[in-house]
Amino acid sequence: MTQDMRTAYKGRVLAVKNLPTLPKVLEEVTRLMEDPGTSTEQIAKVITYDQVLSAKVLKMVNSPIYGFPGRISSIQHALVLLGFNVVRGLIISTSVFDDMNKAMAGLWDHSVGCALACGEIAKILGMKDPEEYAVAGLLHDLGKVVSAVQLPEIKPELEALVRARDITFLEAEKSLLGFGHDRVNAWLAEHWNLPPNISEAIAYHHKPLSAQLYTKYACVVHIGDFLTRVYEFGNGGDDNVPVFQPHAMKLLGLNQRALENVLDALSDAFLEAADISFS
Amino acid sequence: MLEDLTAAGPLRAFLISADEAFVRQVQGIWPDTCIQWMVFDRAGAAVEQLFSDPPALLVSDAQLPDMTGDALVTLVKSENVYSQVAVVLCLPNEALHAGRDWSTLEADDFVLLPFEQEEFKARIELTLARMTRTLDANPLTRLPGNTTIIQFIKDNIEKRRDFALGYVDLDNFKAFNDKYGFLRGDEALMMAARVIVNTVRSFPGGMNFVGHVGGDDFVFALPLDTVEAACRRLIARFDAIVPSFYDAEDRERGSIVSNDRRGEVQTFPLMSVSIAVVCNRDGSLGHYAEASAIASQLKKKAKENFASCFVIDQRAG
Ligand SMILES: [Fe+2]
Ligand SMILES: [Fe+2]
Repeated sequence: MTQDMRTAYKGRVLAVKNLPTLPKVLEEVTRLMEDPGTSTEQIAKVITYDQVLSAKVLKMVNSPIYGFPGRISSIQHALVLLGFNVVRGLIISTSVFDDMNKAMAGLWDHSVGCALACGEIAKILGMKDPEEYAVAGLLHDLGKVVSAVQLPEIKPELEALVRARDITFLEAEKSLLGFGHDRVNAWLAEHWNLPPNISEAIAYHHKPLSAQLYTKYACVVHIGDFLTRVYEFGNGGDDNVPVFQPHAMKLLGLNQRALENVLDALSDAFLEAADISFS
Repeated sequence: MLEDLTAAGPLRAFLISADEAFVRQVQGIWPDTCIQWMVFDRAGAAVEQLFSDPPALLVSDAQLPDMTGDALVTLVKSENVYSQVAVVLCLPNEALHAGRDWSTLEADDFVLLPFEQEEFKARIELTLARMTRTLDANPLTRLPGNTTIIQFIKDNIEKRRDFALGYVDLDNFKAFNDKYGFLRGDEALMMAARVIVNTVRSFPGGMNFVGHVGGDDFVFALPLDTVEAACRRLIARFDAIVPSFYDAEDRERGSIVSNDRRGEVQTFPLMSVSIAVVCNRDGSLGHYAEASAIASQLKKKAKENFASCFVIDQRAG
């Protein structure tokens, strides 16, 4: 891994233009938009099942042309500000994954699972905006999708390395690319003017205590990611659970009792989500 | 004449056409230092970039593989934030005699195909120049300004159409501006504009008009029977979104604390919206001035309330 290669990879990752997604959510949103009686709430609910569409919506509403970059981290608010016309345009411009990438479907479930987990944790901790914690959870592994799309030749190598050395996906990324998907998240968040809470949460979800301004967001996503893996909801790209940092729980004041409440709420939420899975 | 426009570097332009010969022809007209073309063979491929980073000029074929050029133009031109993009639609020669209603064309100009190079060049350059001197649009939100607003109201009064006019302004906008500066104030105005535009548009009934009087004053028009629901939706949306425009500390507290000139501590709640609605029922408004006079009376009433609220003019028609 040379510095030059790392820079070249970074350039290719950031050149991402059209992120493809899975067809089901796309179809459902299209169907909803054809009905003039559909509310933004209904559309927001479906879009939050898709990390790529959610990312596109947030990227669009936070782009400087709208005049308030880095302010909006709620999908619902984003839809109100963009309007159906622009959302329709975004749907038209989104293509569907080809067969090779369908293998990533498990990552969609993992992301939805993490979103649910983060939302529940935030609620039980009495945070003010549980929806925004859920959005952070939804987008936490977006860097994996972007790398897979932009650096297609690396993906099989990554998978082989994870299997051969029994290491985490993150470690494999670092040894092959020189950076992990957490780094990619940080670059994308900056490039797309995402708000600082989302940005820090997704950039630091593997080392939450290093987050500076929104440490709580990073800690919630860290725990949400871990719990989603423990429950084996979806697949994050490897079979071993990411390294857990118990300090994250301490920082949030998440004690044994509260954790049990989270686990109870999650069992229900995961069961329900498995029924309406779009992948 | 293109020199002024390209002084800061080549103009970014999108060309959307599946016709390769046409694309080559267009690309050959101006040097790269003048216009830099990004070419797309389908509308879908262009839309996301068009929306997040709009070019100065958009030239589109009338027939595209995935949608019509007209639909693409509508998508762009119906948004206040994109209205400054110069849009030229390329139509087949037959279109001229097909009896279409030209007044509904939303593009800034059109060119007939096959084109004559000099004419194409002249049309594009004229369209670009025209965009820089458009009407009285508000420079920030690009919504129609006073001249258009007054004309709109006069027209509808004259035609004795029933309609409701909503005069919107933001409460505590000044405190926000004073604390965070005018750039952050502009952010809030852009947000308010989008909330008003999309809320008004979410109600059917045709007459949806939104204008920006200036500062934190906006005007919208809707049919009489939808205006109350629209006010409620507008307020709910604005109140939900506005906290995101404050720093975490103020958002948490739900107010701005500042010192006034005499050094006394003052507390200002988060911004809210006041809406005064004037109705024209069976020609009840005699003339334009009456509308604004009634509105300013209603405004006083609306302002007595600290939270977001609306007051509808209840005079019998
Ligand atoms: Fe991760
Ligand atoms: Fe993960």
